[in-house]
Amino acid sequence: MSEDIHALSGAYAVDALDDVERARFERHLAGCTACQAEVESLVAAASELSVLTEAAPPASLRAKVLAEIATVRPLPPLTAPQHDSADEDATSSTPPEPVQAPAATAAPATQVEHADDLTERRRSRSARGLARGWRVVVAAATVAVLAIGGFTVWKQIDKDPSRAIADQVLAAPDATRYGARLAGGATATVVRSNALQKAVIVTSGMSQPPSGKVFQLWLQDATGHMTSAGLMPGGGDQVVVLSGDASHSKGAGITVEPEGGSDQPTSDPVAFIAFA
Amino acid sequence: MDPMSRFSVVPSGDESPEGPARPVSLEQLLRRAATGDETAFAELYDAVSSRLFGLVRRVVRDPAQSEEVTQEVFLEIWRHSARFDPSKGGALSWMLTIAHRKAVDRVRSAEAARHRDEGYGASNQDVTHDSTAEAVVERLDAERVHRALETLTPVQRQALELAYLSGYTHTEVATMLDLPLGTAKTRIRDGLIRLRDTLGVTL
Repeated sequence: MSEDIHALSGAYAVDALDDVERARFERHLAGCTACQAEVESLVAAASELSVLTEAAPPASLRAKVLAEIATVRPLPPLTAPQHDSADEDATSSTPPEPVQAPAATAAPATQVEHADDLTERRRSRSARGLARGWRVVVAAATVAVLAIGGFTVWKQIDKDPSRAIADQVLAAPDATRYGARLAGGATATVVRSNALQKAVIVTSGMSQPPSGKVFQLWLQDATGHMTSAGLMPGGGDQVVVLSGDASHSKGAGITVEPEGGSDQPTSDPVAFIAFA
Repeated sequence: MDPMSRFSVVPSGDESPEGPARPVSLEQLLRRAATGDETAFAELYDAVSSRLFGLVRRVVRDPAQSEEVTQEVFLEIWRHSARFDPSKGGALSWMLTIAHRKAVDRVRSAEAARHRDEGYGASNQDVTHDSTAEAVVERLDAERVHRALETLTPVQRQALELAYLSGYTHTEVATMLDLPLGTAKTRIRDGLIRLRDTLGVTL
């Protein structure tokens, strides 16, 4: 499997992976120093291509940029390894449940990619439903996880005890994807393996929850009842295992809840991903 | 110092080009920006805005959206300036990575897709050259990259251009180039490795 995933380094370096592939590759990257070095060098090589596309922006952009940055405080440097405690909180609130390793954990790329067309259509359908039905509160402000800055993120993922489960689900031969696009360009994709009875949510470009609030995950059963599937950190790109058996669920939702989470959703979902 | 850490990538072995030298490196400007130095950031903007905007516009194509994305890119650079890690690569490469990711995110969002040019134009770019010494250096850089691209196989080159300059996923690239599923990613990687080795990119 690692040989297969190693081959994604080039596509990763030029942002040519979709969210789920990127999540899988970044998890691999966390523990593969050879890939880290290769990605760094390939990113630098790709950057050289930009000399071919050079073009001066409209003169008015300069003033806009400088006016905008004057109102924003630069983030402090990352000083200690314990920088994002939210991740660890979320991890401990979604205790990993043992999952039987499938006989073959290798993900034939074709199987995962095969689902793309369908999911693409489902995604646009669920995105429309979302815009119609729910108040979307995910703010436009995105915290992009940077390919280069991402090295700090990979280190956190490395310590995540639910990592093995997420890896198995993402690589499962029966992995099926369901996606939704949120306001502000954020995306949420649920990858479910019925064989493993687990689902993993992969988000990209998520905002932080409002102060004093948390993002909570839910699994919806056939009757429409929502069961908590744990908490999820906000910000950037996340890969979180939904706790509970997802194999019979009809959909997954994300809500904003008071700190510590709720027994039942107390607000409209910021995202709902139907498994259909 | 690696070549990416200066604004103008000068072919290795060259003496400094004609014209005004750039006494302050992009790394230094970033470091000053991280302390809230707006003047340093303005200087940084002047040094890299053509590179960043040009790449964003190549991927996004729509002029108004390209401008919007570029503005977001500079805000992101400003906010994250303290988190730039020179041990992971040069400052220009880091900023271009931010620009590329944001441009790609924009074109992949469903809303933007509707406004986007469907067609894939060839790789000829309208590089705006003026007659300054800096422009001469830029043209030399462009020629160097063009030459390096010529060492790639046609499929490697097309795959890399569709992925990097047009922002398509490797799965989309495979379909567009009629390649068996899963092979576009290999072409992209092989092409990048050859480009890297031909250009002598070091970190």
